[in-house]
Amino acid sequence: MSAPVASRKRVALVIGAGSVKCAAALGLWKVLKREGIAVDMVVGCSGGSLYAAAMALGYDAEETEAMTLSMWNRDVTKRRDYGSMLGAFLPKLFRFRGHFGMVHGEPLLAALRKGFGDKTFADTVLPLYVVATELATGQQATLAGGKVVDAVRASIAIPYIWEPWEVEGKLMLDGCLSAPLPVDVAIKEGADVILAMGFESPYPRRIRSATSYAFHVNSIYTNNLFRANYSFHNLAHHAEIIPIVPDFGEPVNLFDTHKFGHVIACGARAAEEQLPYLRQLLAEPVAKPSSPGVGSAVR
Amino acid sequence: MDIVVEQRTPATVVHITGSVDGLTADTLMATLQQQIDAGNTRLIGDLSGVSYTSSAGLRALLATVKQARTAGGDFRLAGVLPPVHKVLEMSGFTTILKLYPDVDGAVASYPA
Repeated sequence: MSAPVASRKRVALVIGAGSVKCAAALGLWKVLKREGIAVDMVVGCSGGSLYAAAMALGYDAEETEAMTLSMWNRDVTKRRDYGSMLGAFLPKLFRFRGHFGMVHGEPLLAALRKGFGDKTFADTVLPLYVVATELATGQQATLAGGKVVDAVRASIAIPYIWEPWEVEGKLMLDGCLSAPLPVDVAIKEGADVILAMGFESPYPRRIRSATSYAFHVNSIYTNNLFRANYSFHNLAHHAEIIPIVPDFGEPVNLFDTHKFGHVIACGARAAEEQLPYLRQLLAEPVAKPSSPGVGSAVR
Repeated sequence: MDIVVEQRTPATVVHITGSVDGLTADTLMATLQQQIDAGNTRLIGDLSGVSYTSSAGLRALLATVKQARTAGGDFRLAGVLPPVHKVLEMSGFTTILKLYPDVDGAVASYPA
């Protein structure tokens, strides 16, 4: 029996790690909506998972912007997790639990709950995949079931900053550690055209605290991983990966939420630049499949 | 996409204008392959007129590099514009391809 031929190309939107910069995806989202370009799945990692989840849950760009403005501010990092740090640095006096975070996770969780409540992956209007990293094995984990809050919390568990988060009995860390721009998930799930919005992590000009040192070291690892993965995915994909790389023209740091408007506009501009090609590409006929099915989602 | 081939001893310069993407990559690859088949394995891609490349474009560039090197030559890039350079950098290509600011520099990089 021959495989059914898809009537149009399947489009995936992949939003990589990048904290506030990930809001650029809202600019891209607005352009796609305006042009009536259907997206068949969204994939998010770390900061990108916030926006991927909001899009998949059917929030529009304005709602998502308001939501992230209300949840992503300095309050989420103000409270230090002294219990965790004492366990890490004085393990004989205070029990070390095998992991630690310098920032208390409760305000972050409260912020995420404000945005996503008890919504689950079953509530999404688009297939959603959130990428995290298993602490025990280092394996990339693609989360596609359960509570959205849990998946996003796991995906943004920046090492040393926040404690890992347990999902399905496994402790998970930031998806950035295994897949800073998880194009592979879209390839595996059968996307033809992949809109890849990714960001390399900035390096601080000066390292003035343990936290900024931790961020800096993380950035070194993840930027190198970003390039290595992106290179492989470009060569591995049968169809097209369109990089949407906004030029912000200025540094955008972790809590520069006052730059949301600028970031979103830059995302929209980057999307506009690719629009003529994207339209042409989507107008081309779908290639006849030469091999049987690709991976399917477990939801 | 426009392609113009120019012989600049000791190299062959392929001037490319437009986008190197899923709609144009096959044409570009065919042109470059013709040059390699004709024994012109010291290739230079003049990308000063290319403002965009996607994954299909990257695959075409890489395939050409491999073929040219297998045949004893190379495929070097000249005049890469910032948006394309960013994609080449993101995808690790700048670590395996030789890039030059302009065609003259790329031509001079090949021994006479």
